[in-house]
Amino acid sequence: MSKRKELEAKLIARLRDDVVCVEKTDPRTIFIDVKRAGIREASKIITTAGARYLCSVGYDNIERDGTLGMIHTFALDDSDQFVCCRTSAPVGDPVIESITPDLPSAGWSEREVTDLLGLRFAGHPKPKKLVLADDWPDGIYPLRKDVPHNFVPKGAEDVAYELDEAPPGTKIVPVGPFHPSLHEPEHFAVYVDGETIKGCDYRGFMTHRGIEKLCTTQISYNEVPFIAERICGICGSVHATAFSQAVESAAGLIIPRRAEFIRTMMLEFERIHSNLLWLGVAGHLIGFDTVFMQAWRVREQIMWLCERLTGNRKTYGMILVGGVRRDITPEIADDIRRVMKNIEDDLTIIHRAIEKDTSIHKRTKGVGTITKQQALDWSLVGPVARARGVDIDARRDHPYAAYDEMKFEVPVLDSCDVWATLVIRVVETFEAIKIVRQCLDKMPGGEFFVEMKDKIPAQRHAITVVEAPRGESVHYVITGEDNRPERWRVRAPTFPNLQAVPLMLLDEQFGDFPIIMGSIDPCFSCTDRVAVVDLQTGQSSSITKAELDALSRRAQSPSHSLQTMLRG
Amino acid sequence: MTSTPLPTLLSILQVFLNLLIFLALAPLFDGIVRRVTARVQNRQGPPLVQSLYDILKLLGKENIDSTGILPFKLAPLIAFASMLCVIAILPMAGRATALTQYADAISLVYLLTLGGVAVLLGAFASKNIYALIGASREMTTMIMVEPILFMILLLGVLKTGSLDLGAVIYGTPMAAFGLPGVVMIVVSLFGLQAFVARQPFDMAEAEQELLGGPFIEYSGPNYALFKYYMMLKQMFYAYLPIAMFVPLLGTGFYLADLALQLALTALVFLLIGLLSATHPRYRIDQAIRYFGVLFLIALGAIAAAVVL
Amino acid sequence: MWLTSKIKQILMVMKPGVVTLDYPNERPPVPENLRGQPVFDHQKCIGCGGCSDHCPARCILVRDVCQELRVMLYDGGRCTYCGRCADICPEKAITMSNSFEIACDQKEDITTRMELFMMTCQRCGRCYEMEKTNAIDRINLKGFRYDNLEQRALIRKTSETFDPALLKESDNYQRPSDK
Repeated sequence: MSKRKELEAKLIARLRDDVVCVEKTDPRTIFIDVKRAGIREASKIITTAGARYLCSVGYDNIERDGTLGMIHTFALDDSDQFVCCRTSAPVGDPVIESITPDLPSAGWSEREVTDLLGLRFAGHPKPKKLVLADDWPDGIYPLRKDVPHNFVPKGAEDVAYELDEAPPGTKIVPVGPFHPSLHEPEHFAVYVDGETIKGCDYRGFMTHRGIEKLCTTQISYNEVPFIAERICGICGSVHATAFSQAVESAAGLIIPRRAEFIRTMMLEFERIHSNLLWLGVAGHLIGFDTVFMQAWRVREQIMWLCERLTGNRKTYGMILVGGVRRDITPEIADDIRRVMKNIEDDLTIIHRAIEKDTSIHKRTKGVGTITKQQALDWSLVGPVARARGVDIDARRDHPYAAYDEMKFEVPVLDSCDVWATLVIRVVETFEAIKIVRQCLDKMPGGEFFVEMKDKIPAQRHAITVVEAPRGESVHYVITGEDNRPERWRVRAPTFPNLQAVPLMLLDEQFGDFPIIMGSIDPCFSCTDRVAVVDLQTGQSSSITKAELDALSRRAQSPSHSLQTMLRG
Repeated sequence: MTSTPLPTLLSILQVFLNLLIFLALAPLFDGIVRRVTARVQNRQGPPLVQSLYDILKLLGKENIDSTGILPFKLAPLIAFASMLCVIAILPMAGRATALTQYADAISLVYLLTLGGVAVLLGAFASKNIYALIGASREMTTMIMVEPILFMILLLGVLKTGSLDLGAVIYGTPMAAFGLPGVVMIVVSLFGLQAFVARQPFDMAEAEQELLGGPFIEYSGPNYALFKYYMMLKQMFYAYLPIAMFVPLLGTGFYLADLALQLALTALVFLLIGLLSATHPRYRIDQAIRYFGVLFLIALGAIAAAVVL
Repeated sequence: MWLTSKIKQILMVMKPGVVTLDYPNERPPVPENLRGQPVFDHQKCIGCGGCSDHCPARCILVRDVCQELRVMLYDGGRCTYCGRCADICPEKAITMSNSFEIACDQKEDITTRMELFMMTCQRCGRCYEMEKTNAIDRINLKGFRYDNLEQRALIRKTSETFDPALLKESDNYQRPSDK
């Protein structure tokens, strides 16, 4: 608790009256309320105290007290604590001082809040649109409570995003929205001089599904994990677990230990499959398709295992608020042990075959380098950060589920390039196999699900982090009425990592663009999840081609039933 | 050869036989590469004739002309035609065709370069930024790789003292090449992937970053011609080292010699498949360094041949 | 180094052989507890609407045509196969079958429609299934009815209002860059 007192003393000494209160209820999370004049100073004090910036959450509090809320969240990695610095601005004068000049990685979070809630940030270095479509009308802020979740504004024809000026003497290579190295629709304008990249601008957030808005207006706590799982096609369980943990922590629900073990196992299965997937994709991106096929061949075993275990290859649907859905029977446990052995053997062979391959070294060593200091400044997470010597891992620093009982190594390398990322992800796969075995050995008996009996009280805040295969995911939940969260903010690992990509690309060869981009394992859907034009109620997997076609055409169509509905 | 100014009927037939062999076998050999790649990747892989199916399918599709200018339409024709000319003058299994006597080693290199230039022409005409980057990579590769090809042929020229194609390719028995010949075999093996534009030297097309590079704007029959051109070129480059450095059986039977050479060419394709399946694509700067080394070695071999 | 890793790579691929299947002709076994297409048993269903309450994808819809007739509509086009309905069902009327090759041209082919005859309680006037006792206590239907216009806002906005005429009309649209 000393950290909390220390922080409180520092804040009060520097900001005096601007500090409203420092909450003492939750031992793990320090909630600090400050007046808006002191927010930048407070965030400076918190970061100098050794905290790492996570993300910022904006929320609509207009109905209650006519303000828009803003929360900057930080993690204290050595003492397993989170710091949430809350402030607010009246809706009539929605301006807060920006913290981006101090913390570059806050840039996107703040732009997102500006887009979605209409809170503006004074002193933001690049106050451009981030999330909303170019033709989104001014003055409508989709995350505010008065905007319905299915609001579709009239499209405009002649607006386009203004990309950054190209540096003199460079050509623009448009990468995306559809490009084989991206896998998801995003747009990069890469400024090249010959073959050398001199800069890059990003216009993304094209895979908007409005999941956050949907889950805070339409469905109840125990359906959210299923939608959370569909935020990402790779780390679904991560999001479902993170959401469930946040709600459990807000509600004070203690889940059975066995459920925590099963969650840990699911997360590690996901890590194994995701790391193998990434290894394959990395091979593909440097034009080495055999690595791709071999890694995916090994990965297939874990997909089949999960199919036997949960009933589906990928969207496991195992996690619920209060526990898990299916138990691990002794037969399945044997099955898991056998599959783990196979994967370990196969991966060892692949590892040996590629670790000394000079042709792979040629393409990955010394590529995409940024220094440790830059990685810290941009608060990179996951293997990308660990490859740059930043020793963070949410599983070890902020243990959740059953990770407090697990013994595992966190590989950290300091060669700062793509090769280090590759090595780290392969080593982590072996560690994940170790964790799965420990889970099986130590798993306690008993129940694996507990019902939510009481209503979850409204207006409780909770933050959780879960280490996804590609970095840490942060979920922030504010509980609400009607058995559903009032605000749910998901910060996927790609969100901070992607912001640092222009830095990684600088002065590299254009031929290395795919692998540098791929090295952060970008998941654009995760990053984009938040925006609001929701036509599909979050179920991207169920869109048929015709529907999609219609959707894209209707985006330009003025005659839309919804618009008429809204105007009426 | 100098004593027969009028081509015999057989040698005219030979031109068509050459074309037939190349046009029929090139897709099959490409199929071998695909099959080998599939096996290395533990896949079943497509049937051997898949490349032929692809061509047929492309031929039946619509030609989309994004630029509307003539060079764009002509480029695939020029590329394909230049390759057919190369094949028509090629003395396969040591037997000259009716056209061989009108050509020599220089015109062979010239026609091969013309094909490459046609690809560049198409790329520049399409005005696509990816095509332009691909074309500049293709051009760099050509500048580095064509001299290596020329030096391989030059070795034959030096040994026989003649520019005549039959003599250059078949004139020297294996043993007479000596050490420079061995070096040149190694060079042509290491340059093989660059000649056929496969991994690790397919950076001009580089699907992951350039989406097909010079060919990005091509579709339908035009693209089919380019594909066929690439396959023919690939077969030519696989056949060339076999023709030059593997002695004929000396049976005197044309068919036996031809069959042996084609079987060996198939083996070269096996090698191409294995190499391309086990390599990532090099970056253009890395490739240039590699070609530079190869060039110097080839130059050394020529120098040695001159001195010895 | 280079050569040894290449040899290792070639050796690595020798052992597993060919692992891909000639798919439509050759099928891998389907695991027993696969969450495939849900099957609805109208004999067991009491029309409580629990499945519709808990469906995250909103693909089970309820409509009371009249006092005695309740229609349950399962729209497979939106289903995410999470199996939540099967978990929730108090009468185990929903089972997740292991059929998964259900792609089809007609949406109707994967739509299930059940018409349930509901008796009206003589005392309170609400619906319940005649043969089951006390089922009325379980009826707590909040959402996803398609006779309720307000709730309907949630349901299929994209596919429902799409028609071919609109598609044709959109061919004439000018993209911003065409100008």
